[in-house]
Amino acid sequence: MDLLCLGLNHQTAPVDVRERFAVSADLLGEASKELTEKSGVEEVVVLSTCNRMEVYALTSEIAVAEQSIKQYLAGDLPFDESDENHFYKKVENDAARHLCRVVSGLDSMVLGETEIFGQVKQAYTQALESAATGGILNKLFQKSFSVGKKVRTQTSIQGGQTSVGSVAVDLAEKIFGHLKYSEVLVIGAGEMSYITAQRMMERGAKKIYVVNRSLENAQKLADEMGGEAVSFDDWESVLAKVDVVVSSTGATEPVVRPEHIEKVRAKRKYRPLFMIDIAMPRDIDPEVGKIEEIYVYDLDTLQLQADENRAKRHDQVRACEQIIEDEVLKLSTTKRNEHTQ
Amino acid sequence: MPNSTIYLLIAALLAGMAGYLGMRAVQHGHQSRWTVAWMLFSFVAQCGVLGIRGDLRGQCPLGDVGEILVFLAWSMTIFYLLIGSSYRLSLLGVFSAPVVSVMLLIAAIPGVMEASPVRAMSVEPWHEMHAALSVLSYGALGLAAIAGVMFMVLNKMLKQHEMKSGLFLKLPPLSSITASMVRLTGVGTLVLSGGVFCGLLMPRESSGSMAHLWAAVAVWISYTVLLTIWQVRGMTPSRMALSVVSLFLASLAVFAAL
Repeated sequence: MDLLCLGLNHQTAPVDVRERFAVSADLLGEASKELTEKSGVEEVVVLSTCNRMEVYALTSEIAVAEQSIKQYLAGDLPFDESDENHFYKKVENDAARHLCRVVSGLDSMVLGETEIFGQVKQAYTQALESAATGGILNKLFQKSFSVGKKVRTQTSIQGGQTSVGSVAVDLAEKIFGHLKYSEVLVIGAGEMSYITAQRMMERGAKKIYVVNRSLENAQKLADEMGGEAVSFDDWESVLAKVDVVVSSTGATEPVVRPEHIEKVRAKRKYRPLFMIDIAMPRDIDPEVGKIEEIYVYDLDTLQLQADENRAKRHDQVRACEQIIEDEVLKLSTTKRNEHTQ
Repeated sequence: MPNSTIYLLIAALLAGMAGYLGMRAVQHGHQSRWTVAWMLFSFVAQCGVLGIRGDLRGQCPLGDVGEILVFLAWSMTIFYLLIGSSYRLSLLGVFSAPVVSVMLLIAAIPGVMEASPVRAMSVEPWHEMHAALSVLSYGALGLAAIAGVMFMVLNKMLKQHEMKSGLFLKLPPLSSITASMVRLTGVGTLVLSGGVFCGLLMPRESSGSMAHLWAAVAVWISYTVLLTIWQVRGMTPSRMALSVVSLFLASLAVFAAL
């Protein structure tokens, strides 16, 4: 019996190809079960996420199983030969190593991301519940989960945020703790401010106010985020209430100046205010950062931090690969010993 | 070596371990999860010291500089143990453990603690309560000052965009540090109120004890004014931190001078 991994991912296939071969998240177990009924296939786990579609199978004959799987994935139509180039095939130790890399987030678009761990676990659970797995794949997947945990605890592959929005949200949490009591003011309706504010909402921010020179655009963005649009003439009054300001207007002169803050400091009872300036040229006068309770971060600072975190994650790859290599070696030794006995 | 000194050294060593291991954990970017346990063991040993000294004196062990230091270390430790785990501020232990350890080591220096203290013939309860509550309040106020230092460290890092160190990652949010700093100042002031009240009721014996009492009243007024401003008018957290640290150091200096 041989272990086979057949799949495609964001590195080998464009999104339209991935879409064609994607399996719905609630049908993974069913697909796994159906594949075990194909010739040459004994045990199967089908994994399908937005960035990858992979089939892990235990086969009696690799070539036969490969054709059966490809034909199944193609559906009613014959398997298109042009899609052949998008698929990768890994067998035995390579397949086990690949699974461990996937679970550990080393094969992900965002290096070290953790969501994939849960997705693989969900795919395996569905296959297990559909009785599509047996002793070998059960052991392999359990092993891959323990390797994934080991990689994440023994290295800092998931350390630090790698996007500007997430770095900003982490900083907001460093100042305010939970964001559930924090209100956010978005000045300007740019994409970056939308993404950053969205991250704040995901982490539980209490309320979002959107200010734009065009009230209509502000209303549109506020509707998308479940926030409240504020007329540009009223933004200074909102400043007295909020904890975080995200600014990204197209203005050529600073929009927020020290006098704006000074006016509301007493009203705010000198509470901390976190200001994120993601405009170019900057919206927030650098002098604002000199006010005691104001923390100003601009795009360059946040980008630099995100880049450094990404670089740190890349530095960890070798250590992660070593852990995986050792574990795959142990797995293959155990398998060989069992085979000999 | 007397038993109290052995306990004292053990308590200092355990607090030192808490500080050292906590700092190492922070440097490596790990959680300093054992700090509370080491501090708890140190607290038990400190109780042993105070118990022995209390037996020797036949009253609250606050008769010499060594005993005052041990009592102060004990009150800082107890307040840390009470709030350290409750407010997710285990890092407060990393900051306070070295201070506790140093205070205990100073107390262990021969001569700092009287070897054979005179046993009290009679106990004056108001005086006892005044001394005990005042030192206890200093434990809370000292810990508030340590939280103030933590605030200033993190505030500087945030203002200057220094986000790389392990300390930055492990320090609790500014809001948590501020909350615990204010709470500890409030608790300390409240306990000090009791101390001052008892002091006003104790018999007037000497000008020295009156000077101590008036100094305690001045400290109490300063903290009360600070808390009132914070609550009513508002104040930047960094100014609050600076005030809490300065007031504690100033009041320590005043008491040392008296």
